[in-house]
Amino acid sequence: MVAARPYLIGVRHHSPALSAVIPALLDEFRPQALLIEMPPQFARWMPWLGHPRTVAPVALAGSGEPLPFYPFADFSPELVAVRWAVAHGVEIVPCDLPLADAGWGERGSRGPRKNAMADGGPPVPEPAREDLFSRALRRSQTGRDGDDLWDRVVEAPAPGATPEQVRRAALAVGWAMRADEARNGRVAGVDLRREAQMRAVVADQLSRTPDARIALLVGAFHAPALVDGDGVDPAGRKRAAPLDAPRPVPDVTTSLIPYADPLLDSRSGYPAGIRDPRWQAETVRAGGDPARVSSAAVRIAVEVCAGVREGGHPAGPGEAREVVRLTEDLARLRGLPAPGRSEIVEALTSVLAQGEMLGRGRVVAQAMEKVLVGERRGRLAPGTPRSGLGPSLEALLKELKLPNPDQPQRKELRLDPLRSPLDRRREVALQRTQACGIYYALPADVQGVGAAAALTTLWLAEWTPSSAALTEIAGLLGVTLEQASEGTLRRQRERERADGGSTAQQVLDGLLAAAGCGLPGLAADRLDDTARVLPATATLPELLAGLDLLSRLEQNTVPGVAGHALPDLAVVMEEVHTAAIRQVDGLAGSSDRADARALLALVVRHDRLGTGMRLDAALKRLATEGSPLMRGAGSAVRVLLGLDDAAGLGDRAAAWLDLDTPLELAARLSGLLIVAGPLLEAGGDVIDPLLARLELMPDDLFLRRLPAVRGGFDVLTPAARARLLAAVEARLDDRLDLVMTTDPVLLGRWAQADAHALEALRERGLASAVALAPADRWRLVLGQKQDQLQGQAKRYGQALDELYGQGRGEGSGGDLGGPGAGDGPSYPGVREWSEDLTQLFGATVREEVLAAAAAGGRVDAALAIDPASARPSVELLTSVLSLAGALPERTVARLRPLVAKVVSDLTQELSRTLTPALTGLTSSRPTRRPGGPIDLHRTIRANLKTARYLPDGTPTVIPEHPVFRTRSKRTTDWRIILLVDVSGSMEASTVWSAITAAVLSGVPSLTTHLLAFSTDVIDFTGVVSDPLSLLLEVSVGGGTSIATGLAAARELVTVPSRTMVVVVSDFEEGGSIGPLLAQVRLLVDAGVHVLGCAGLDETGAARYSVSVASQLVGAGMPVAALSPLELARWVGEQVR
Amino acid sequence: MTETTGTAATGRTVATAPRQVDPPEDRYAAELEFLAAFDDGARPPGWKLTPRAVVTFVVGSERPLSLPQGREREGVPQRRTISEKFVGERALVERCVVTLAGERGLLLVGEPGTAKSMLSELLSAAVCGTSGLVVQGTAGTTEDQLRYGWNYAALLAQGPSRSALVPSPVMSAMSAGAVARVEEVTRCLPEVQDSLVSILSDRRIAVPELSGADSAVHAAPGFCLIATANLRDRGVSEMSAALKRRFNFEQVHPIADIAMETALVRRQAAAVLDRVQAPFTVDDSVLEVLVTAFRDLRNGSTVEGWEVERPSTVMSTAEAVSVAAALGLAAAYFPSGRDVLSLLPGHLLGVVRKDDPADAARLLGYWDGAVRRRAERGGRLWRQVWELRDRLEG
Repeated sequence: MVAARPYLIGVRHHSPALSAVIPALLDEFRPQALLIEMPPQFARWMPWLGHPRTVAPVALAGSGEPLPFYPFADFSPELVAVRWAVAHGVEIVPCDLPLADAGWGERGSRGPRKNAMADGGPPVPEPAREDLFSRALRRSQTGRDGDDLWDRVVEAPAPGATPEQVRRAALAVGWAMRADEARNGRVAGVDLRREAQMRAVVADQLSRTPDARIALLVGAFHAPALVDGDGVDPAGRKRAAPLDAPRPVPDVTTSLIPYADPLLDSRSGYPAGIRDPRWQAETVRAGGDPARVSSAAVRIAVEVCAGVREGGHPAGPGEAREVVRLTEDLARLRGLPAPGRSEIVEALTSVLAQGEMLGRGRVVAQAMEKVLVGERRGRLAPGTPRSGLGPSLEALLKELKLPNPDQPQRKELRLDPLRSPLDRRREVALQRTQACGIYYALPADVQGVGAAAALTTLWLAEWTPSSAALTEIAGLLGVTLEQASEGTLRRQRERERADGGSTAQQVLDGLLAAAGCGLPGLAADRLDDTARVLPATATLPELLAGLDLLSRLEQNTVPGVAGHALPDLAVVMEEVHTAAIRQVDGLAGSSDRADARALLALVVRHDRLGTGMRLDAALKRLATEGSPLMRGAGSAVRVLLGLDDAAGLGDRAAAWLDLDTPLELAARLSGLLIVAGPLLEAGGDVIDPLLARLELMPDDLFLRRLPAVRGGFDVLTPAARARLLAAVEARLDDRLDLVMTTDPVLLGRWAQADAHALEALRERGLASAVALAPADRWRLVLGQKQDQLQGQAKRYGQALDELYGQGRGEGSGGDLGGPGAGDGPSYPGVREWSEDLTQLFGATVREEVLAAAAAGGRVDAALAIDPASARPSVELLTSVLSLAGALPERTVARLRPLVAKVVSDLTQELSRTLTPALTGLTSSRPTRRPGGPIDLHRTIRANLKTARYLPDGTPTVIPEHPVFRTRSKRTTDWRIILLVDVSGSMEASTVWSAITAAVLSGVPSLTTHLLAFSTDVIDFTGVVSDPLSLLLEVSVGGGTSIATGLAAARELVTVPSRTMVVVVSDFEEGGSIGPLLAQVRLLVDAGVHVLGCAGLDETGAARYSVSVASQLVGAGMPVAALSPLELARWVGEQVR
Repeated sequence: MTETTGTAATGRTVATAPRQVDPPEDRYAAELEFLAAFDDGARPPGWKLTPRAVVTFVVGSERPLSLPQGREREGVPQRRTISEKFVGERALVERCVVTLAGERGLLLVGEPGTAKSMLSELLSAAVCGTSGLVVQGTAGTTEDQLRYGWNYAALLAQGPSRSALVPSPVMSAMSAGAVARVEEVTRCLPEVQDSLVSILSDRRIAVPELSGADSAVHAAPGFCLIATANLRDRGVSEMSAALKRRFNFEQVHPIADIAMETALVRRQAAAVLDRVQAPFTVDDSVLEVLVTAFRDLRNGSTVEGWEVERPSTVMSTAEAVSVAAALGLAAAYFPSGRDVLSLLPGHLLGVVRKDDPADAARLLGYWDGAVRRRAERGGRLWRQVWELRDRLEG
């Protein structure tokens, strides 16, 4: 093989070692023709590719499927050979299969490959394969397990070797790989076909000039197939026969475009890349001289250390020196003449990363990537013909009859991509121009029918001069619209990765874009991301959005990829779904109705997959330990899933009516009804016990419960309530028929007697003034058909309508079910209403109704609450405070007394419980336990009884019991930084944080800071002792960036080991998770005591993102839902 | 991770009472002697073997090695296979050896149960012939244990003198030019850890109580330090930057290959049963289920690529061994009892439910996901495991 004719140079597409020796090899052989593994259509580009003024990296691309893409850098042997041939005027003959030839479609048992040229190098070995020869070769070498055989055998030993030695090593690797492939029967049909073509070209050359000196530059894997004679090619018996008549060479578009280092790196996702282009280029520049390779390693070590320093971590010349020492010694131990890529990467990791994957490790990895990848851009020689994206896009637009440079006029396009194939191509093309950032077409919204997404699309397209200009920019990333859009989207993905990882939202957007642009490969990658990122970081709404998108893909309603089955779609769906189930735990503390709806949406999907034990256990916890809302929702969901029976739920719900805490009752009922509303409408087991309980309640008890129950039922839409009322009325009518067993005359007398007795009781004030029939009770509860109410009952209805109004959703327009609520005269002002409430329900209920109205946004109601009689509750405080944000200063002043009263009550109450947890500190003391320095005085005093004179007269003490000093701990100067998330609504946690901070600020040895953050951070440290003004100044809303908050907290840290940082948040981080974890890591690394509070309130139940929280725990921040007392205990433990 | 070789053939006589565990320098004395004769290339000062031979000692030789011509020695066989002692990446061992050869501190970090301590024992036994100069780091470790202490009786009676000074293992290693080991260095208080800084940078320990030549102990050539640290319990976070800078960090990962891990679990569990003279009768397929479950929960994803939620507990190989041994003991002592497999879910729950109650829920999730899917795919054993799910509830 080595001595074969034609002269063989086996290469890998990127190989610094071979690139360095090829000019010498060619100089020595002096070929008359250079045959090179490239499709013949590229022949016209050869003079430009080898042009002395063309600066690598550049790329050759053609059209076809799979998309042929051949990037070239200074370390590509082909480029070096082409340059040599151009400089020496030697003919270059591309000898591979023509692009678009049928042969490319011949698949063997080897899987499809991404790129034609990548197989010049050895494929990545799979673990299960029986690779005898490569194993034998590998065993003779040493290095990391994952290392490439080529790297170990060809690249690493190359410095200092002769050109011929390098050529032989490369041929040997190619032969070994081929032998293994042949043994396993895995040489692909396409490879055999290509080799037949190469042999044909060689034969053709030889037939024209029999004695020509021909050099053949092909992938090392193919080299053995190009040698005549048995015994050389291990796959010899499989050789494809030459075609009888050569197929005509199809006409395809080809382009030569400039390229860039970051795209060349194999991690960029571009085809035919190589790890760390900068290092490879340095090796070529060293030209095989071990000393120069070593000095390149020194340069890189110093630059990486500088990069790490820039990242804020110490790394100086000392570290750089150690990196170099380790690099060289590793090379020496492995018997290499000069360090290879593997050695330098290992040494950098060992010395600099310090075993921390998140904090310092990330910085080191970023610095390494920046230094080793490089930033060079290629340039074409002046005069190179125009090619690439521009011409191909124009042709495409003309073909699709879309606005183009010849007909630039604006067009409105209504497309139906799922029916018409042409529309589908247009849709995909328009999506792609959007993805490329070419200003050309704008989508308009189309309303879907009902809840379903629209199936047609509407676009406004126009060709403008800026379309042309932006096309040139997008052209860097690809030569066809498909390539360029994939390039842009992949770059986007890369950028997300560099910024610390994609967020769940970015992943979903990316998946949608990839699918819309008809890029199945990228969509599959994004699907991988989905499976990776969503379970780890997404919140429940994001997971549900993800499930929606995935089911759209599954149902083939995304035009771009309709018809392409994405691999593993079902598995990913299941994974995302499982992740959503995990989030159920995080809902326990929620009081947001949207979360109850999300829970319902989740279990509706769950039906398809069956109930798992995990969901069962989670729901059980939710139903017994959650917030009132989630208890109701959880119980109802269990019934929907068939985990509990309906009658049991009905009984439990009926028992809730006996709760004397109106807010809790209302919340539980809301939760129940959000989930099980339709179940109730249908009547049956659930509703019977409720019916019975509501009807049998004494009137005054019913009236006390009424506001809360009405509040609970308010979650249903008016139409749903109307239907429910109809169902109830039907049942009531039914029942009347059943009890007619007594004599009607007797019944009549009983009724008369009852009426008399009731009258008598009323006169003495012993019974409530109204008698409410069951149907009327339900009308009041449901706020429906109140026109049928009589007298007093009607006033109750009106008083509550003032609070609840008409309701939202279906039927709220008032056109259903006739006149409903709110048709009576409403109150002229809150004063009249408030008086009416007192008269009808009593003072307690009045406060409660007014508080509920304040929570609903009625300022006047809040102003009507009497500070003196108001019960101090956090709920009241949060609702009043959320009003205060939007009010003029004058009105806030009037609210102040109420807030002040509630805050001071709560603060007093809390400080009573917290203070004991924060006192009692220890000091140093003597001990018998050896631990600290010896206390000589005490030791002598304790052992005086052993004192005696030695024979020489000196006194001596035998220390039977030595006494030591314990280390005294410094207990002063602790600093606690409360970092409070105010991005959502004004929540109980915020209130508790402020109050807790106020109590903590009263502890003398503690400096308390309070930072409120959303995407900005505001320092409230100045007013921390005055929770009233603090709470009135906090403005809620905005996104969540916990990382920003932590960064601000880090600036306050002076003595890390005596600083506590407590983050109060729901951990639904808006940005990517990487920076957040890095910030946590930085704090933890510095020795700061950090704690995450998923919720800070009395219940200790919280609503938070389970996935993010568990990642934070991994980064070293424990996360728990705490009560203020537990927090104070934690603080006490740290300080003590 | 260890291979038992007899001590009968050792050149050194071990005339001691039977021990539960032999230190590696005794256990592998014959191999060490062979390697010393096998490779007589250049050695760093104070080393008993060449760096290349140290690597061979730790990762083993696949084939028998033969002594080169003219280097035969009495009592050393001509050919010998070096057993594999550390199952892991060769490059990692190479980096460790090169670090030590440069007399720099080596810090092995990793999850518990990844054989960090064993690797450090093997390295020190091979480099200097003893693995005994060790300090175990705990919260109660004092500076005395890293630097020097005093014989208080002598100190009180005669005042400070060299004879009243009690050297620490680290100090002993310094004067002998040997390898000192500090286990679990991160569990020491930070101020105690920092006493290593001056040892690693100045290479001497000052004894201010003494004067003249005794006032400092200098490190002889060959002295170096191997520390291990557990990523889970304290991490390296509290180490000072000054100390970190003086170490090269090597992360030891769990065993990558399932077959190797299963074999290891079987070997070690059998060894445990061997000690009580009972045969290890647990079926290989049960062990495979066990090891697979451990690996899935440890990696956060299954072999099939399914996502698994990781419990906060460490699912170390060592822990898998103890479960396998427990299964073996159950089979040995209660032979008529139930199927061994039926005990597995209970044991797994016991391993997982250590500090976070949510971990039990994660195990349920594992059963819902990976176990169910495998059962659906038709693995008979996995179907049995899936049917055992009721043992996890409650």
